[in-house]
Amino acid sequence: MAGPSWLAYTFAGVMIITAAYCVSRLVIARRRHRPTDHQVDAVHILMGVAMAGMLVPRLRIFWAGGWEIVFGAAAAWFTWQAIRGLRSQDAIGRGQRHHLQHALACLAMLYMFLAAASASRAVAAGSAMSGMAGGAAHFPTLALVLAFALLGYVVWTTDRLPSLAPVAAFAAPGVPVPVLTGAAASSSTAGDTSGSTLPAGDHAPAGRGWGPPVSPRLAACCEIAMGVTMGYALILML
Amino acid sequence: MTIQATGASSGGRWLSGIGVAREERWAAPDTRRLLQLALAGIWLLDAVLQFQSFMFTRGFAQMLGGTAQGNPAVIAGPISWSARLIGQHGTAANAIFAVIQLLIALGIAWRPTIRLALGASIAWALGVWWLGEGLGGILNGAASPVNGAPGAVIIYALLAVLLWPGRPGRPAPFVAGRFTGAALARSLWLVLWGSLAYLALQPATRAPHALSGMISGMASGEPGWLAGVDNHLGAFLGHRGPAAAVVLAVVLAVVAVGVWLPRPAARAVIVLAVVAAAAIWIAEGLGGMLTGGGTDPNSGLLLALLAVAYWPLAGRSPVITQSASPEGA
Repeated sequence: MAGPSWLAYTFAGVMIITAAYCVSRLVIARRRHRPTDHQVDAVHILMGVAMAGMLVPRLRIFWAGGWEIVFGAAAAWFTWQAIRGLRSQDAIGRGQRHHLQHALACLAMLYMFLAAASASRAVAAGSAMSGMAGGAAHFPTLALVLAFALLGYVVWTTDRLPSLAPVAAFAAPGVPVPVLTGAAASSSTAGDTSGSTLPAGDHAPAGRGWGPPVSPRLAACCEIAMGVTMGYALILML
Repeated sequence: MTIQATGASSGGRWLSGIGVAREERWAAPDTRRLLQLALAGIWLLDAVLQFQSFMFTRGFAQMLGGTAQGNPAVIAGPISWSARLIGQHGTAANAIFAVIQLLIALGIAWRPTIRLALGASIAWALGVWWLGEGLGGILNGAASPVNGAPGAVIIYALLAVLLWPGRPGRPAPFVAGRFTGAALARSLWLVLWGSLAYLALQPATRAPHALSGMISGMASGEPGWLAGVDNHLGAFLGHRGPAAAVVLAVVLAVVAVGVWLPRPAARAVIVLAVVAAAAIWIAEGLGGMLTGGGTDPNSGLLLALLAVAYWPLAGRSPVITQSASPEGA
């Protein structure tokens, strides 16, 4: 991936910090009985590590083709969840629609890895073939469309930041938490800034001493950082 | 989006109570806020484009310096000076430019800083219009609606003014008139589209093969489909350039006066404006974004966004009350 090395290191550093923070979210959620969206936090960890490796080759930790499988599966999973949400009539089901944005991010990752692999193969095949092979497998218009969508999502998320109050990472448990439904549950989940509910499996049982969700505002900031970095990486591939 | 300023459900109160959601401080975006977000999105795209490798090279400074050509000395002097300065400190200067645009984008999108960011965007856009675009070429005879005149960046500034938050109680027949008032907003529209119509009749556009050469020239470096469209369009206009320029001028003139027409006709004119803006954007090769050297999406996309802001609203002129208006919007 071309671009000034210091800039690539900066973005890679942001991605590593984001991934580390998402690890801490999962740990805090488990230890302090606070709800979070485990799927979203987990995929953010994977995206952070993968993006860092894409931006700075020495940080690559996966075998060739591995990330394509991971993000292909993640995109399929989130798309399926979103389709279920679109079909659903109840509030919790409708909350699953926000998975569309995660499906989009996974598709963008998949595109970037496929395009990078294609370009590498083209270079390996020789300079005479490189332009043709790279051009055939790498669709710049698709990269631009994905960048548009991701940057739009960044703006959308930023607009919602004031609705998400900062919650201390070590907020005390014990606050009675009702089962979240419909509009009331919106924006309370990790990584969910579009107004959705917690996944059914992540609902805090009422009266069992669950604390507030883990820092929704910081989760949104992670999505913003990730969206900008992915947009940058996609634009570099044009 | 489900958190509403007015939707004080019991669950919503619980969220506020534990400090997760601040419902009282946030409302669903209205049309003006959506347009502000679209503007923020374009600024964000600009910022990311500014991070491209090419912008860190001397080629970027040379591109800026090239806009001095043909301009009066009082305009060209500062352009050449700033291009030299950027050329000497290319990496730092470009990084600063990109970060400024990133902050403007996020500042517009984040409600508490929208006024600050819009104000900064106006100042930044005016500076770039002069030092980066040579006033859009309007003084050196090279300006054409098809090559981005009167300068894409000046449309950012215009949008920032028209979409400025505040004056929530002011009635207006379209969103763009809420802050400045309908009369001033219509006048600004007339000046912009009228100047485009005028420029379409100037030699830079009307001369034989001028339009054709300009559009074909955009195809270089573009992906196949866009290069094909621009090449075919250029070939089609090869012997029809002057006539096409006159047709373009007439269309742009109709758009310019269309906002004074009754609502149904004005809506038709706004649709025409969006179609014309889309055609201009295609002719501009989407601002060269797909070539790896584009600094912004150029004027077509912004003209379309501007046109949407002038869409005649249904019914009576809306009066936005303070309580229902999104914070900062």
